[in-house]
Amino acid sequence: MAKTLELQFGTEFGKTARITVDNPKEPIDGEVVKLSMAQIMASDIFTTASGRFVAAKGARVVERNVTDYELV
Amino acid sequence: MAQALLEGTKLRLLFEAGIDDEGKPILKAKSFNNITKVATADQLSQAAQAIAVLCNDKLNKVERNDSSEILG
Repeated sequence: MAKTLELQFGTEFGKTARITVDNPKEPIDGEVVKLSMAQIMASDIFTTASGRFVAAKGARVVERNVTDYELV
Repeated sequence: MAQALLEGTKLRLLFEAGIDDEGKPILKAKSFNNITKVATADQLSQAAQAIAVLCNDKLNKVERNDSSEILG
């Protein structure tokens, strides 16, 4: 049950870029996420093929379940 | 004279994911691509802190990973 927090940013040319954070602090605090995203944008270090990050589009927690089966 | 041409930059965050049997921290690395080449240490640190706030693990170290092409 690996959980990751996915931050979605809008880029200059209208695409969406994602940053993922493993093992997020739970419960997720919307305000903190919003502030962090603002700070990531303010630091201005990310640049993609479709430009820099200009908007905070959304955030979500993605959970991955893995079930191992024994082969007979 | 050979020249080094900065080709790409990555941001690497090392998180403490626990303690091993000998009491040493277990480090987990998370790498971020799409970092602008002109990013300053201050900017990288700001973004690293903003990301670390969202994570359950303690941030141990922030690294900047530059790769250069050598022309000569």
